[in-house]
Amino acid sequence: MRIVVCVKQVPATNDARIDPETKRIVREGVKAILNPFDTYAVEEAVLLRNRFGGEVIVISMGPEKALASLREAISVGADRAILLSNRAFGGSDTWATSYVLARAIQKIGQVDLVICGKQAVDGDTAQVGPGIAAHLDWLQATNVNHVEDVTDRDMKVTRMHEDGYDVCELAFPAVLTVVKGINIPRVPTLRGRLASLKSEIPVWGPADIGTDIDKIGLEGSPTRVVKTEPPKPRSTATKKISGAAVDCAIELVRELRLRSIL
Amino acid sequence: MFHTVQNKMYHVEILPPKQDTEQLEADLESFSKKYNRVINSGYCACITDNAMGLLGFQGSEIIDVMGLDVNPEKVVIHLNTFHTKEDLHNILDTCKSRGIKYLLIISGDGSDRLPRLKPEDVNAMDVESVTSVELLKYIKDCCPDDFVLGVAFNPYEPPNHEFEKMQRKIDAGASFIITQPIVEKNDRVDELLKKYPHIPVIVDAWMNKKLQILSEAVGYKIPDDETFDPVVTLKKLHRDYPQCGFYLSLLSFKTQFDLLPGIWP
Repeated sequence: MRIVVCVKQVPATNDARIDPETKRIVREGVKAILNPFDTYAVEEAVLLRNRFGGEVIVISMGPEKALASLREAISVGADRAILLSNRAFGGSDTWATSYVLARAIQKIGQVDLVICGKQAVDGDTAQVGPGIAAHLDWLQATNVNHVEDVTDRDMKVTRMHEDGYDVCELAFPAVLTVVKGINIPRVPTLRGRLASLKSEIPVWGPADIGTDIDKIGLEGSPTRVVKTEPPKPRSTATKKISGAAVDCAIELVRELRLRSIL
Repeated sequence: MFHTVQNKMYHVEILPPKQDTEQLEADLESFSKKYNRVINSGYCACITDNAMGLLGFQGSEIIDVMGLDVNPEKVVIHLNTFHTKEDLHNILDTCKSRGIKYLLIISGDGSDRLPRLKPEDVNAMDVESVTSVELLKYIKDCCPDDFVLGVAFNPYEPPNHEFEKMQRKIDAGASFIITQPIVEKNDRVDELLKKYPHIPVIVDAWMNKKLQILSEAVGYKIPDDETFDPVVTLKKLHRDYPQCGFYLSLLSFKTQFDLLPGIWP
């Protein structure tokens, strides 16, 4: 089974700033990490590869510093990685980004399954996975929290939604987006991390994947951001409960019930 | 371990490189230098396992990858429950192959995002989660002759609960005890010494000037004291606990390590 995992490097902060001019997230000077939801995608791919054989290839569209996230994926078991990086990709919205990723997947070839995290924690759109499926015209299942009955032709997945869950069968090739809880991502070993530092990661540009120049970057992005602003900070209040332990416990339960937490 | 204690050996804590380091190779070099300095000075190197919830690389793997010498009497590897079963056995196998004998078994600090041993992984079907007690029992069962296993004692926990748990650790086969860091004579540690006179107790002396960090580590508010001097405190702890070995938490290799020969009375 050849599995491609699409990952994104995101700012490692809850204190995201938005450029008032460009309406985009400011990434300069902020420590970057592998999108947490993508760690579940990588782990699921590695688990499937370990059970059924094949190869896990991780791809990302981004600047050169996104190599660190690709190396992180290799350190936990991905076989190889490819960075999609070129100034022409800059400014791509989710539609253009999913187009570029889809072209890279076609270039890799013989891919049975694409796995993405359910969304990136910076943009929170959850559109890139479905966008890839649309560009490739493959079956897709989003918000998947369980995979079973995998054969060489299809698989069964459980996908979560507001009212419960669906169990779906998908024939390969297919695209999945996965949620937290589908697995517990492994922690890199030292040997894995050192090996990842030595991995050669090719960088592909528009010519390598045969993109239509009108479909990438700002030109290829139909999204127009009218207004963006950070959410208002959540109000917090601390209430101290004191007294005997039993009384404190009773009071704590009462407070939690008042707030519909219990 | 009695041998170690009777030889008045310091157990020097060494933190492994963090998982998120951006300078892994430099950090590994720094770790190796500290490790060799500790061993060559005749002390015991104690390597933590995700101390304070900070993800680091595993001590036994670093020793193996960096080809560091192991004196079985001078290395203690911390081992917590935040591992997969496969990882656990990799760690145990590496320790065996490198001659590492002493393991400090702790429950550990972790989060929902970290893998954790499940009861079925350690043949503990009668519990809901794996603690140091179940892990210790499992290692005793699967590697009966390979390791000397120690456990932690937390004097900041409610004493009844902590002593009840300590008894279960002893019953499971613990052969030595390392306390949580203290900064003065401690009634609970005194009680521990009285209760287990035949088990070596290594007192953890807090060597960082910032008591706030200790409060965070033990989950118990220790009043800040701007005049706190770790070296003076260590000397005092020696007088209070002459029968014990000492574990040095967050010792500064730059400013404190070279003072050690002159501290032990």
